[in-house]
Amino acid sequence: MDKENHSKKPVVISIFSLILFLVVWEIVCKGGLIDPVFMPAPSKIFARAVKLIGNGELMAHTFASTRRVMVGFMISSMVAIPFGIFLGSSRLFMAICDPFISLLRPLPSMSWIPLSLLWLGITETQKYSIVFMGSFAPSLLYIIEATKSIDPLLIRAARNLGASKLDVMREVILPGALPQIISGLKVMLGIAWTCIISAELVAAREGLGFMIMNGKEYFQTDTVMLGIVMISLTVMVIYVVLKKFERRLLPWTR
Amino acid sequence: MDTLNDQSKICVNTVTKCFSSKQGEVTALKDLSLDIRDGEFLVVVGASGCGKTTLINMIAGFDTPSSGEVLLDGKPVTGITPECGMIFQQYALFPWKTVQENVEFGLKMKRIPKSERKAIAAKFIDLVALNGFEKSYPHHLSGGMKQRVSIARALANNPEVMLLDEPFAALDAMTRQVLQEQLVRIYEKHKKTIIFITHSIDEALLLSSRIAVMTARPGRIAQEIINDLPYPRNADVQLSDNYMALKRKIWDSVQAEVLKSMEVETG
Repeated sequence: MDKENHSKKPVVISIFSLILFLVVWEIVCKGGLIDPVFMPAPSKIFARAVKLIGNGELMAHTFASTRRVMVGFMISSMVAIPFGIFLGSSRLFMAICDPFISLLRPLPSMSWIPLSLLWLGITETQKYSIVFMGSFAPSLLYIIEATKSIDPLLIRAARNLGASKLDVMREVILPGALPQIISGLKVMLGIAWTCIISAELVAAREGLGFMIMNGKEYFQTDTVMLGIVMISLTVMVIYVVLKKFERRLLPWTR
Repeated sequence: MDTLNDQSKICVNTVTKCFSSKQGEVTALKDLSLDIRDGEFLVVVGASGCGKTTLINMIAGFDTPSSGEVLLDGKPVTGITPECGMIFQQYALFPWKTVQENVEFGLKMKRIPKSERKAIAAKFIDLVALNGFEKSYPHHLSGGMKQRVSIARALANNPEVMLLDEPFAALDAMTRQVLQEQLVRIYEKHKKTIIFITHSIDEALLLSSRIAVMTARPGRIAQEIINDLPYPRNADVQLSDNYMALKRKIWDSVQAEVLKSMEVETG
């Protein structure tokens, strides 16, 4: 990882290629080669961004979506981590729950949207539930797999030192599986974003998905494009923050 | 044999252990009996695959005999016994815990308060000469240092018996010698009952107060030899006639078993 810092050349090339792409896009749009309703010029998207930042709308939508992802994802992880560790360490428990997990796992979160709207209405709880339904079963499977990857010798050693089965889960299985759990949850966070944007596209009063859908209704292609760019930027920022957090959480992997 | 000796700390009483594998039923141990007295340093020597590890796993309670029983202080071993502190060849340190946290582990499981834990851990880290490495994580340590942490971790838990399963087999010769000397010093100071498994005859002679030679599979005890060589077993002792005579005696016994096991494999 550190090797990349030694040479700044690739970064310069990346920035240059991005600028070149934007310039070509701008020229193509300004030259009238593409209908602005289909594809607005980058300058128009930027102007829209300035306007929506000015009236606070863009940040409000971004925060609404981010909050929904975070709340839904936190609840899902907080249930999935202890539950997954239990399932991974008990064959009986696993056998009992296996059919339900197998049935839930292949369901795309979108298939829950109609039912969740009937049950919960267009509410925040409904948004959280979509994130939960979309990320819970796959998270659980990641955690079960992570739990099973623990070296059985470490469990033996812990038991030999007087650890109870519960101690083993807390002191050995959880920390031992943590690096793998975290990398699984990072993948799930991407999926949680997919969930929330779909839910907002279908029914919402705020959020980036709503902003995109609303922009489309008024033929504001620049708002639609701005929404897409904003999703990408937000997820990128979250990953950077998460990476810092991960290093703090796993000091022994350094 | 008088297996119900009052003095025996551990009594392995006609234990048989079978495993089912793809090749069918495998008998690892067959009617194995062995007495270990309190304060004894018993080294079990045997060729690879003779069931040494199976034997120690049953004493630790990781495994249960197919027939027969293992008694600790006259009571049958039915589950994992923290009274028997185990030291593994692969160290089995917790990678996410520092040296200090690893050594404190058993004490933490006993719910001993933090300050007290720290004091006890410091004592045993000192004993294995790892001062200054308290805050290090295991992957920063060499193999020999890891095994010293593992020994300190077992001792801090104050077990009555220490079980060592080929603990120095993965170390280089120099480190092994240092650790062997340290182990003898610990044995003389703490007077624990020790069961040590190895395939090295020299290691057995350097460490033990008694040696048990195992047969080829299915494992039994072929021969028990009292090792009364004086401690410390320095170069002088290692070149003495007594040492050579004992070595020849064990070697003859082990060699016969190795040849037998090779016949089984090729025949």
